Amino acid sequence: MQALTPNKAIKLDAKISPAAPAQSGANVKWAVMNEMQIATAFASAEVEQARQKVLGVTDVSCFPRYGFKGPQAAQWAADHELAIPSSPNSWTLSNQKSLVLRLGGSEFVLEDQIGGIACEKLSIISARVAGVYKVPRADAAFILTGSAVLNLFTELCSLDLRSSALLANDVIMTQVAGISAIVIRQTHNGEPIYRIWCDGTYGAYMWETLIEIAVELGGGAVGLASYQQ
Amino acid sequence: MKLLTCPMNGIRPLSEFIFGGEYRDAPDQKTCSDSEWAAYVHNRSGAPGDKKEWWYHSPSGTWFIAERNTLSDKVSRTYLLSANTNPTQEQAK
Amino acid sequence: MSLRTTKQNGEWLDRTKKINFTFEGEAFTAFEGDTISSALWAAGQKVLGRSFKYHRARGVLSLANHDVNILVTDGIDTNMRADVVLVKDGMVLNAVNTIGGVKKDKNSYIDSISPLLPVGFYYKAFHTPRRFFPFWEKVIRKAAGLGIVNFDYPRILKRKLHTHCDVLVIGAGPTGLTAACVAAEAGLEVTIVDENQQAGGSLGYDRSGNVATASQLTDLLAKAVGYSNITMITGAYAAGYYPDHLIPIVAANGITKVRAKTVIVASGAFEQPPVFRYNDLPGVMLGSAAQRLIYRYGVKPFNNGVVVTANDYGYRVALDLLAAGTKVVAVVDLRAEASPMAAEVAKRGVKVYPGHCVYEALASSDKSGVRGAVICAYDEQKNLAITAKKITLECDGIAMSAGWAPAGALLYQAGTAMQFDYAVQQFVPNRIPDGIFAAGKVNGIFELEQRINDGKRAANEALRYLGLSAPEVAVEKHAGASPSHPYPMVPHDKGKNFVDFDEDIQIKDFVNAAKEGFDNIELMKRFTTVGMGPSQGKHSNMNAIRILAKIRNLPVEKIGTTTSRPFFHPTPIGHLGGRGFHSHRLTSLHQWHADHGAVFTDIGAWKRAAYYPAAGQTKEDAIQTEAMAVRQTAGIIDGSSFGKIEVHGPDAAEFLERFFTGVYTTQKVGSCRYVMLLDESGVIVDDGIASRLADDLFYLSVGTSNAAAVYREMQRSQQMWQLDLGLVNVTGAFGAINIAGPAAREILATLTDLDLSYESFPISSVRESFVAGVEARLIRVAFVSDVGYELHIPMVQVPQVWQALLEAGKKHGIRPFGSDTQRLLRLEMGHAMPGVDTDGLTNPFEIGAEWALKMTKDYFIGQRSLQILEKKPLRKRLVAFVLAENFKGEMPMDCNLVLEGREILGRVTSIGYSKFIDRCIGLAFVTPAKTTIGAQFQIRTDNGSSVTATVVKTPFLKN
Repeated sequence: MQALTPNKAIKLDAKISPAAPAQSGANVKWAVMNEMQIATAFASAEVEQARQKVLGVTDVSCFPRYGFKGPQAAQWAADHELAIPSSPNSWTLSNQKSLVLRLGGSEFVLEDQIGGIACEKLSIISARVAGVYKVPRADAAFILTGSAVLNLFTELCSLDLRSSALLANDVIMTQVAGISAIVIRQTHNGEPIYRIWCDGTYGAYMWETLIEIAVELGGGAVGLASYQQ
Repeated sequence: MKLLTCPMNGIRPLSEFIFGGEYRDAPDQKTCSDSEWAAYVHNRSGAPGDKKEWWYHSPSGTWFIAERNTLSDKVSRTYLLSANTNPTQEQAK
Repeated sequence: MSLRTTKQNGEWLDRTKKINFTFEGEAFTAFEGDTISSALWAAGQKVLGRSFKYHRARGVLSLANHDVNILVTDGIDTNMRADVVLVKDGMVLNAVNTIGGVKKDKNSYIDSISPLLPVGFYYKAFHTPRRFFPFWEKVIRKAAGLGIVNFDYPRILKRKLHTHCDVLVIGAGPTGLTAACVAAEAGLEVTIVDENQQAGGSLGYDRSGNVATASQLTDLLAKAVGYSNITMITGAYAAGYYPDHLIPIVAANGITKVRAKTVIVASGAFEQPPVFRYNDLPGVMLGSAAQRLIYRYGVKPFNNGVVVTANDYGYRVALDLLAAGTKVVAVVDLRAEASPMAAEVAKRGVKVYPGHCVYEALASSDKSGVRGAVICAYDEQKNLAITAKKITLECDGIAMSAGWAPAGALLYQAGTAMQFDYAVQQFVPNRIPDGIFAAGKVNGIFELEQRINDGKRAANEALRYLGLSAPEVAVEKHAGASPSHPYPMVPHDKGKNFVDFDEDIQIKDFVNAAKEGFDNIELMKRFTTVGMGPSQGKHSNMNAIRILAKIRNLPVEKIGTTTSRPFFHPTPIGHLGGRGFHSHRLTSLHQWHADHGAVFTDIGAWKRAAYYPAAGQTKEDAIQTEAMAVRQTAGIIDGSSFGKIEVHGPDAAEFLERFFTGVYTTQKVGSCRYVMLLDESGVIVDDGIASRLADDLFYLSVGTSNAAAVYREMQRSQQMWQLDLGLVNVTGAFGAINIAGPAAREILATLTDLDLSYESFPISSVRESFVAGVEARLIRVAFVSDVGYELHIPMVQVPQVWQALLEAGKKHGIRPFGSDTQRLLRLEMGHAMPGVDTDGLTNPFEIGAEWALKMTKDYFIGQRSLQILEKKPLRKRLVAFVLAENFKGEMPMDCNLVLEGREILGRVTSIGYSKFIDRCIGLAFVTPAKTTIGAQFQIRTDNGSSVTATVVKTPFLKN
């Protein structure tokens, strides 16, 4: 195949969060983060902080992700100085700022949190290695915070996701609102938070559903700006 | 709703799974007669009893075998078809 | 006259809160906590409803959610059960099954002609002569059913939740509460559910006039509430048992599906009415109903009552009536042997008639209540009333205690084998499935202390089931008189001795059913409709079984029971619907499509733009306009929903060889080949394109609707074959745009440096390059047009390329086109689509796809079946056809039949009008004789006209 060279005449426009079609509204503030247009605020900081305490839903689809799988995937990760979870269906933090999910035994998803650069480092590797296959990620990704998160899950997921049933580093591949999704529990600023990933093409649906229930439970949409604070 | 144990993901409600039919060994298609092949393709034994079945855990994309008694609807065990794809073994490599 | 008593210890009322409501136009007051029935009864209203069939006056029967003759409507909801629904301030209520109100129901004449309407009457009477049936059908339909559906019913969200617990206890009576406390003490998470507004069960009302039971209940409740690991749910019913201990709990505001590790069923028993003439009059009620009225709602059941009993419970009821200030005229006991409790009531001045029955109740002059009871001796052996010496007792009410039936619906649903226990004259669990335990009355344990013991026993068994250690608890079997009478039935020449109050079924109806040959319990149920009304036999099935046993002269256990199915009580559709999740996938261009007036269509999980009508444009016009753009200049379609799968690894080509029908090992890098997937029987599953991007990398694109299934089958095959490769589903990660039409190449050339000349980028080849600055895979396809490029790009970057293409194509008049237009375009090209032009039986020979099969390969899925099919004569084949030029008749539709006389030759699979060709074109299955070019066949339209079609060559464009 011929070498790839971009046509210099055309400028790269920002990508848009897959959840964006469901995030319209006059008060929504947008910014570009990691080349993706993302909602940074849905309401005033006070309102969003109140929501966060009860049930805040934040769209973090713009976090960079890198997926790979195959029989040699674990070795490849080690070769690239990536800390990986030691057991299937669990997660770990690599260098504090990159989340590494192990899906099953031999598939990995790396997600840089704010300030993480691991994906960028991996994405420039072009050599294909036997037994390691790149998995392009186009996830819609969300963070759920607040005291009523589990109330939301009781309606959207039939699994027991309470801390008594879900280990701290468990990765759960299940169905949320009827579609396949990945769920983990993390701690952020000392508070438990839940993360959800689903295929980006379901992103708008997932956002609509999460927000509908969050609002009923006294929470709502929280922009990335509030989450960052 | 019934629960089923995915060998990779543990106990999950049946709604997370897709049934993949009975697991059956195909006759050697080079040596078998037309009627043997037709019987393999079209005939199923509906007699209740212990069956090996294909099941697919949808959220994780895991195919596995469940041994189920179709009379009692009890699943005695579930496992991945081949140990070669067992991720815990891959990890050990 | 008010029947309200002074405040009762433990009553469910808040007497500080008065409530005003109307019933049938009349104003009533109540207290908060009253049910509709208790409030009306307290006010002296006796006729609360009319029976379903004979429109007989009915009052309180059970006050336990099976008073199904007392259904009311508030104008929004219908068939509200007045015996359990709380009355609210401002309610405007009416009974549902009357014409002109409960007191003067115009349909009550039906009661007087009831001898003309035996069971089975409808099955026999109205079918001959046949021409009158439509008339009778209207009459019967009007009479059938209860209540009027409110089509303006507001949409109120009823949530469906999932919760989890270690132990679910069903029933919060003394047994269930005890079991819950034992399990909670062991540290388990316990959920306990009770359909009543408050916990306590019979401990709250079955008091024998002794107030001590009230404090016993208070203590037990306080203990249960003290455990933080007990979740108590009242006013909600366990609606069914589903595998692996999933129990939906239905409350007014929604359903909670509880997944328990173990279940304790302490659901108690339903009191069963004895059967005697006019046992349905308002004022004749179950003993437990009388007790509920007194202790829950502070209402005297009547002023001057008779208790008819066939167990010791009647005496307890008599004492409770006395405590409430009701005069008890007599206790009439079917049993000849005097009860040990007889002396106690006699001491209170109540006359006891052992060995007697109520032969009939006497109706008051307006039939709205009771004026007396005729009693006489009862032959317990023959179950006959000895009418030689009848005594008439004056009274305004009768309380009935004859026995119980286990509330065992969930046990049955779980697969419990029941057996008949003669010591208690009741079905009790014999073999219960793992992890389920029964305790209390449902388990045949009646004495209070033993019920509490049984609760402990069951809880300890549950603990052991969960792997904890717990002591054995001994429970004494029932001793003494049976709580249920084996046959509390009093025959009467004139009948009207009701067994099933839902459907007005009398003893003689069972006798008649048996005479007609319906003498099996399941058949008898269907013929008589016993147990088929809204209460589902809760007060009637046991008596029906006893009657059938007697008719057939068999022991009760040989009769068996009818099948119990969810739901335990009628559950509103809105509850079952819940929030209604409609998951859908959107491409990254969805907003653009919406902004540009697209009409969307659902294809699989996807919302796809079907076409883009201009203002005032019809669907047909929009499609033709879009298609013309593709034919004359260029069009673009969002193909992001196509299935896209990468096959990586050294064995990738080998995998494709086995999985699809064609050859891929020799496929050159940069080229594309057609892929067709068959199942093992040789039937076409799907097709698509395999693009070889490297020796060890193929990129597959397949149809939208089958993509998930194709990927799933690839994963399964890989599990079996264990080749050295990796499968990556990139359906959601990659989007796709197809630009097609004569100007497509020129437009695309402005956005890429790639050499697009037909020589260096011919049909069926793939290139990787940048388009509009975005890394893309370009595939030269000829699906909708001879010149077409599929651009596969990361999903989030599709809008950028899309915009650039529209901009670049503006001067050519490029148009977006939708999936409906695509259907027409590919039809013009003559391409058959799997799933549209094939069905679940179509093999490749039948669509003329022999060219796609490499039969000499070592193996592919379906190959062996094709080897067999190949030898057989073809039965049908897909052909392309056109209708006559300027066809103006009724347009045939997809799936219209191809007929020759009365013989079916095949069917149309696709048809449409092509403006570009200016003909109606289509594909159809026909018999092999009709496949030659120029052959003609007839299509029958929906309206029955016959349209001539002529077989032509494809593509249509060149015809």
